[in-house]
Amino acid sequence: MRVLKNEYGDWMVLELRKGAIFVDELRNVSIKIGEVAEEEEEWAPMGPTPFPQIETLRNWDFILLKRYKPFYAPYCDMCCLCTMGKCDLTENKRGACGINLEAQTGRIVAIAVAIGTACHTGHARHMLHDIEHVTGKKLEEIPVDLGPEIAEVAPLTQLITGIKPKTLADLERALRYVEEQITQVMDSIHTGQEGSYLDYESKAFHLGMMDALGKEIADIAQIVAFNLPKGESNQPLIDVGMGTLDRNKAIVLVIGHHAPPAFNIADYIEQNKLNDEVELAGICCTAHDVSRYWPKAKIAGSLGRQLKVVRSGLADVIVIDEQCIRADILYHAGKLGIPVICTNSKAMHGLPDMTRRDPKEVIKYLLDGNPGVVVLDPLKVGEIAVEVARARRKKRGEIKPVLSEEQFMNYAKACTQCGNCTIACPQKIRVGDLMEAAEKGDRKPLEEKWDVCITCGRCEQVCPKKIPIIDMFNFAAWNRILNEKGKVRRGRGPVRDSEIRNVGAPIVLGTIPGVIAIVGCSNYPNGTKDAYTIMNEFASRNYIVVTTGCMAMDAGLYKDEEGKTVYEKYKDDFNGGCVANLGSCVSNAHIHGAAIKVARIFAMRNIRANFEEIADYILNRVGACGVAWGAYSQKAASIATGVNRLGIPVVVGPHGSKYRRAFLGRPYNDEDWMVYDVRSGQKVRIEPAPQDLLVAAETVEEAIPLIAKLCFRPNDTDRGRSIKLTHYIDLSLKYLGRMPDDWHLYVRTESDLPLAKREELLKELEDKHGWKIDWSRKKILEGPIRPYHAGFNPTCVERLFKEGFSSLAKK
Amino acid sequence: MPRTIEQPFDAANIPGPKMAMLLEKGKPVAMAIKKAKHPLLVVGPDVTPAIIERVKKFAEKGLTVVATGNAITKLSQAGINAKYSVLHELTQFLLDPNWKGFDGKGNYDLVLMIGNIYYHGSQMLAAIKNFAPHIRAIAIDRYYHPNASMSFGNLWKKEEEYLALLDEILNEL
Repeated sequence: MRVLKNEYGDWMVLELRKGAIFVDELRNVSIKIGEVAEEEEEWAPMGPTPFPQIETLRNWDFILLKRYKPFYAPYCDMCCLCTMGKCDLTENKRGACGINLEAQTGRIVAIAVAIGTACHTGHARHMLHDIEHVTGKKLEEIPVDLGPEIAEVAPLTQLITGIKPKTLADLERALRYVEEQITQVMDSIHTGQEGSYLDYESKAFHLGMMDALGKEIADIAQIVAFNLPKGESNQPLIDVGMGTLDRNKAIVLVIGHHAPPAFNIADYIEQNKLNDEVELAGICCTAHDVSRYWPKAKIAGSLGRQLKVVRSGLADVIVIDEQCIRADILYHAGKLGIPVICTNSKAMHGLPDMTRRDPKEVIKYLLDGNPGVVVLDPLKVGEIAVEVARARRKKRGEIKPVLSEEQFMNYAKACTQCGNCTIACPQKIRVGDLMEAAEKGDRKPLEEKWDVCITCGRCEQVCPKKIPIIDMFNFAAWNRILNEKGKVRRGRGPVRDSEIRNVGAPIVLGTIPGVIAIVGCSNYPNGTKDAYTIMNEFASRNYIVVTTGCMAMDAGLYKDEEGKTVYEKYKDDFNGGCVANLGSCVSNAHIHGAAIKVARIFAMRNIRANFEEIADYILNRVGACGVAWGAYSQKAASIATGVNRLGIPVVVGPHGSKYRRAFLGRPYNDEDWMVYDVRSGQKVRIEPAPQDLLVAAETVEEAIPLIAKLCFRPNDTDRGRSIKLTHYIDLSLKYLGRMPDDWHLYVRTESDLPLAKREELLKELEDKHGWKIDWSRKKILEGPIRPYHAGFNPTCVERLFKEGFSSLAKK
Repeated sequence: MPRTIEQPFDAANIPGPKMAMLLEKGKPVAMAIKKAKHPLLVVGPDVTPAIIERVKKFAEKGLTVVATGNAITKLSQAGINAKYSVLHELTQFLLDPNWKGFDGKGNYDLVLMIGNIYYHGSQMLAAIKNFAPHIRAIAIDRYYHPNASMSFGNLWKKEEEYLALLDEILNEL
C-alpha cells in the first residue's frame, strides 16, 4: 500500500496493490471514498512538465521575451491600486510600493489576461455543472469521444497536464488545476509581490496557456455532452445577418457565450413544433454554439451589431447568458419594452431571481411589463423565453424603424455641431457631418458609417440635445438592415487527425504557405468588410484559413461577384485554399490543437506534458499566424497571450495597441536571432522569422502583407520559402504598391526566390543590397544572413540541443 | 510648472500628470526641427491631399519621412520619397537607443507625428514619452495628443487654421 499525491500535490491517492485490508476491528470510524481513480493508460512516456506551475516554463518564456522584447504603451501613467497612491509613474518612475511603470504595465497586462482566462475557465466550470444538471449524467459517465478520425482528443490537455482524457471527469481534474493557477497568479498581482516586468509577462504567458486549456475543456465538454459536430467537414450553411430574421415570427434573441439555455430554447421550439412560429437568433458566440446544436438557429450578428439589433426592435425577448453582453442591456431593451431574461449568475443586472418559480408565473411577470428576471436553470429557459416571445408577437405589428420620418428629420435639425459625439467616438466618426448631410436630405453618409460604428453608444451619452444617434443610424440604414443576408458555415469543432496527416508535411516544409487563424471580436477600425477581405485573400492563395467567433460571422456578410460568400466559395476542410469555421471563442483551442497535432502526428514528437519542446517546434516550423482584427476584450488578450506562448504570432487591428503591450522583434539585433542547429551542432543567426509575436497594424492594407510575412519560419524548405516569398512580395505590391523593404532578409539561397522573378530579384539583390552574384550560374555567392541547408534543424532551447528531442517514432 | 493643455481628441484619453504642451504657433516646431540633430517625420494614413502637399515640402527641406499604414501609397503617388514602416515596429525601434535609423546614422532625437490613426498614434506617443528619454515627440496633427511633448490643439474642424500652422513651420525652416 502507498499513499501518493497527484502531480500538483493537492490530492491524496491511496494506492492498493494485491493483498487485503481488514476493517472489522474498527469502531466509530467512517471511511469516505471521494473518487476511485483508475490507473491512467500509459499513452505516451510522461514528459518533463506535467501540470506546470508559474515557474516551470519560465525558461521558455524568457527565450521568447529576449527575442520579442515586450513593448509597453501605457494607457495610464499612474497606479491607483492601493491607498499609498495615486502614484505618478510617468517616465518609468517608481511608485510608493517600488513598482515602476514597466512592471506596472506588465502587471496590468497580467490582470487583463487573468480576467480573460477566468472567463473561459469559469465558462468551462459552468458548462460541467450544466451538463450534469441537463443530461442527468455524472461526468465520469460521459466519454470524451470525438469519433474515429480523432485519436488526439485533447491536445492542450495532453500537452500541458499529461492527461489524455477518457471522460469528462478527467477534464474536470485538469480544470481544477487551471483554477488553482489563476489563483496563484492573481496572488502575485497584489501590491508588494512581483517587481519585474519580465516575470509579469511570464505569468501572463502562464495564464494565457491556462486560458487555452480552459477553452479546450469548455468546448470538448459541450461537444461530447450535447452532440455538437466533432470536426466533420461540409457543415451546413447558417443564415447570418439582421436581414435573415423572419420578422413575421416571434423572435428570441440570445446574447453571450454559454449556450445551454439557448439549447433548451431550441429544444422547446422543436418539441412543441413551433418552427413556423418562432425564430431563434443569436449574437456573439452563443449564436455560433446554438447553431452547432441546432442548425435552424440564425446568427443575427457579431458583438458590434449588439445594440444595432437591440435598438432596431427586432427581438420579442432577449435572453442573455455570459460575456460580451452590454452592461446597459436593460436600459436599451427597456426603451422598447423588450423583456430580458438573465440565465447566468455572472450577469444578473439587479433583476429578481425567479429560478424556483413556476415558469408560467415568470411568463406572466414578464408580460406584465417588468423589465426582466433571473432564471438560472437552463431547463426552464426555453418555455419562458419562447412563450413570452409568442405572446408579445401576437400584440405587436410589423417591425419598422424606431423613428418616424418626421422624428428623424427633427433630430437631424437639432444637431448643433458641437462635436462632443466625435470626441467621444472610439472610431472618430464625424457624426456632426452625417447629421448635417441628413438634414439636407442625404442619408447616404449615415448609412455608410452604420457599419463602421461599433454601436458603443458613447455619442448618445454626450449629446446635449439627447439625439438618439443609434436610432438615427438604424433609420438611415434600414434597407441595408433588411437586406443584410449572409451565410456562415456551422462551427465544426476540432481539426481531425486525418487532416493533419495530409497537411502536416506541406505546412512544415512551407509549401502550404501558412495557417491563418482569423478570430476574435468586432472592434474593427473600419467596418466588417475587412474580415471578408482578409479571409478571401488568404484562402484564394492556398493558405489554410480557420476562423472562429465574431470575425467568422462578419466575413459571411459579404459576397463576391458571383454572389458567393467565402463559406460557399471555399470548402471547410483544414487544408490549403479552404475556410473552416471551427465555432465560438472556446473553439479557438482547436487551433492550438491543430498546431500541436502537427508536432505529434507529422513529426512524431511526444506531446505528453512537453510544452517547451512543442512550442519550440511550432515557433520554428509551423507557419501559423493569428489575426484578431477587431480584438477588444480581456479574453482576446488571454487568447493571444496563450497562442504567443505556443510560438504563434498574432496581428491585431489598431485598437489592439490599447492592450498596452506588444511583442516586437528587432531584426537588426543579431543576438536576438540565434538558434541552435541540431544538424551542425552550431549556433546560427537566423532571419527574423517570425519577426513579431504580437503586433498591431494600422490599416487592413498594411495588415495583409504583414500577416504573410509572419508565416516565414526558419525551417522552411527552399520551395516553401519561395512560395511564401512570392505571396509576401505580391501582397505588398497589391496593397501597398511597393516591394517590401525587408524581403531580402528572407533569402538564403537563389532557390528561395520566386521562379518567375528570379533574375529580376537577383539583380535587385546585387544593385540595392550589394550581394555578390555569379551570373553564369545565377547563384548567390555572398549576402544572405545564413546559407540554406535542407537538414537545418533549429531549436531555441539549449536543453533540447544538448539532450535531443522527445520522439515517438519507431527506431 | 503650469502649462496650457487641451481636451484630448479622445475625451477620456487622460494619461496622467504629464500632458503635452499646447502649441498655438508653428514657430516652436520649426525651432525644434532646426535644433534637432536627427529629426524624423512619421506620416500615417489619416491625411488629406492638402496635408500630403505639406509633407512633400517637409521632405524637400531634408526631413526624413516615414509612412505608416497605407499612407505609403498616397505619398508615393504624390512623388514623395518616403520610407515605410509598421508604426508599432517603428516605435519599438525608436525606443532602442542603439537602433541605427533608416540612414544608418543612429536613432532620432526628434519625432514629428502626423496623420496616424488617432488612438493608435496616441499609444505610440505614450511609449515614447515614458520609455524613450532620448526622443522628443511633437504631434503636428489636427488633434490634441496628450502623450506628445508638444501638440497642436483640436483643429479638425478648422482645416484652414491647421494648414496655416503647417505652413508657418515650413516657412521658418
